[in-house]
Amino acid sequence: MNKILEKLPSFVEKIRTMREIIISNILLIGQIPSPTFNEGPRAQFFLERMRDSQVDECTSDGYGNPIAIIRGTSKTRPPIFVTAHLDTLFDKDIVYNYTVKENTIAGPGLLDNSLGVAVLASLPEIFRILDLKFESDIVMAGLIHMLGKGNLQGIRYLLDTWSTPVRAGVCIEGFKLGRLNYFSDGMRRCEITCNCIPEKGVIPKYRPNAILIINEVINQILQIQLPQHPRSIIAIGQIEGGFEHGTIPYEARLGFEIRSDSPKILKSVYAQVVDIVEGISHENAVSLKLKTISHLSAARLKYNHPLVKNTSAVMKRLNLNPVSDPSESSLSIFIANKIPAVTLGVTYGENRSLENASMQINPMYKGIAQIVGVIMAIDSGVCDEE
Amino acid sequence: MNKNTFHHSDFCNLNTLVDAKENKGLKISLCLPTLNEEETIAKQILIMRSELMKRYPLLDEIVVIDSGSEDRTVDVAKAFDADVYEAKDILPELGPQKGKGENLWKALYVTKGDIIVYLDADIKNIHHRFAYALVAPLLLNDKLRYAKAFYDRPIAIEKNQVRPTGGGRVTELVIRPLFSLFFPELTQILQPLSGEYAGYRSVFDKLSFPIGYGIETSMLLDICERWGLDVIAQVDLDKRIHRNQSTKNLGKMAFVILKTFYNRIEKLGMIDLKTRLFNEMIQYNTVENEYQQEMFSLSCVERPPMIEIPEYRKKFNITGDKWC
Repeated sequence: MNKILEKLPSFVEKIRTMREIIISNILLIGQIPSPTFNEGPRAQFFLERMRDSQVDECTSDGYGNPIAIIRGTSKTRPPIFVTAHLDTLFDKDIVYNYTVKENTIAGPGLLDNSLGVAVLASLPEIFRILDLKFESDIVMAGLIHMLGKGNLQGIRYLLDTWSTPVRAGVCIEGFKLGRLNYFSDGMRRCEITCNCIPEKGVIPKYRPNAILIINEVINQILQIQLPQHPRSIIAIGQIEGGFEHGTIPYEARLGFEIRSDSPKILKSVYAQVVDIVEGISHENAVSLKLKTISHLSAARLKYNHPLVKNTSAVMKRLNLNPVSDPSESSLSIFIANKIPAVTLGVTYGENRSLENASMQINPMYKGIAQIVGVIMAIDSGVCDEE
Repeated sequence: MNKNTFHHSDFCNLNTLVDAKENKGLKISLCLPTLNEEETIAKQILIMRSELMKRYPLLDEIVVIDSGSEDRTVDVAKAFDADVYEAKDILPELGPQKGKGENLWKALYVTKGDIIVYLDADIKNIHHRFAYALVAPLLLNDKLRYAKAFYDRPIAIEKNQVRPTGGGRVTELVIRPLFSLFFPELTQILQPLSGEYAGYRSVFDKLSFPIGYGIETSMLLDICERWGLDVIAQVDLDKRIHRNQSTKNLGKMAFVILKTFYNRIEKLGMIDLKTRLFNEMIQYNTVENEYQQEMFSLSCVERPPMIEIPEYRKKFNITGDKWC
């Protein structure tokens, strides 16, 4: 491991010489609209780029995840997976034109996750410049149908159908350099829709207001008692409804997540939300529908897992201070499939989920060196559990 | 039109283009004329350098010729390793002029390529097809000497919003009617004012260059007149998103283009103007319920064919009547 750590600072400088190729990938990938369920053009470009880089195999799996493989020298070592989700939060009708200045790039979807995809697409060239060969196959997968209603379907399919054991997974996210995710909370992502259009022939005494109904739902959800341990929260994340200032809305929607590292609490809180929804629906004679759009079980590696320890060592060698929060993403699915995995960020930036997201260019080289270092560590065997 | 009109996807095999370039022993230069393009210039340089210099060695150099930008265009371009020149510093003894045509003309002196690709620097959705697809017809067909872009032209109307049609207003309202009246065969050129074209140095250096907006019009008329329409290719580059221009600015552009056009057709003996054309474009603004006149002096100075400039002939070792 020390040999790997020693090389890392020089990697940063060598990767810096690839500035045009990496940024060009960010621009060409980032400027292809890629909303969840419409990632096809971006997946196609990802494959073209991988073919251009002359990887050993290039294909799409049965679900549509584009996959490129660099064959390793060993026939017995399981493959290492490196992934990035291809979808972004924005629909295809906005303008995806990025702006580049001396040390910044800006544009929609950049940090989540066009940058991650671009780094993934640049890896074959980066390995070549660094003159790296691996024992394990390196499987680089762009993942589709991941965000929101996508419900991580891309990674679920990939791992469900992969026929061999997988040595480890590295998930790349554009934001934020310094993150070291190795556990995820259990999560239930739900949507409540309120529809107040009265049935034919029914004349309500008071015309219900969908926004106020949803407001009442929120108030009652906030009264649910949550323990500090096991760590549990309800995140109210989205609200939508209404037409204009003076018109009573008859439709409204609420999006929220229940997160907990205890499956029991997750289940209990969800049951309480069901009761709240049924009660308010009944008392106000409105249609309130609760729908689960994504569901994850809590999963974690231990802090002393060799993958976590060695990833931390790689980051510290690059003067990065690892910050660990739960991450409900591909990571959860890897760990749920008993594959050790970490999520790493590439650079610093601002406005991660907004159209004017921006990233710093200079720290990116360190972020990429860190990813390469972790892949090398996994390949060397130091991250394998005994 | 059927013969020499292409789609960029016809040329997506870049290895074929690189082979053709090497077999012919040609050098290719990309020139980006700029004036306050700090928002887009880095992208153009990065993508072209990455895709057409590092991945596929199709371009030999990227040259930025700046007209005195007041923003950070020059610094940004230098930061991404383009060769950056101030137009006024090239052939300074010929006196300063300012305009896009001036930058393109001076690029002939500082670039090395046998083929030169000119791209406007305000393209927001830049892709390397803008360069390789223009060079491709010239590399693959010896009869073709000049290739011009056409495309859908959505225009940026607000931050992060585009309107799908509506670009090319000067084309439809000025140039196409004029071509229809005087040169119907040139109406086959779908975007005569597009700022993206490639051609052989041996063509460009024999043309005079209006220093401003008239350059595209004059170039097309002169090439067609001297070598014929058959040397011209046009390539569909799909979509080009650029900065929206105000109607007033388009008016100034139309003024210069009209003047260039009239000068050309008068030289060709197609019309006989009984009066001189003025150099001032007059526009009106409403200021506090009153109309206020604005007058812009838009001279239509033209640079002579570069091959007539002694410094150029010396630099490129052109002797005798090789240029005739």
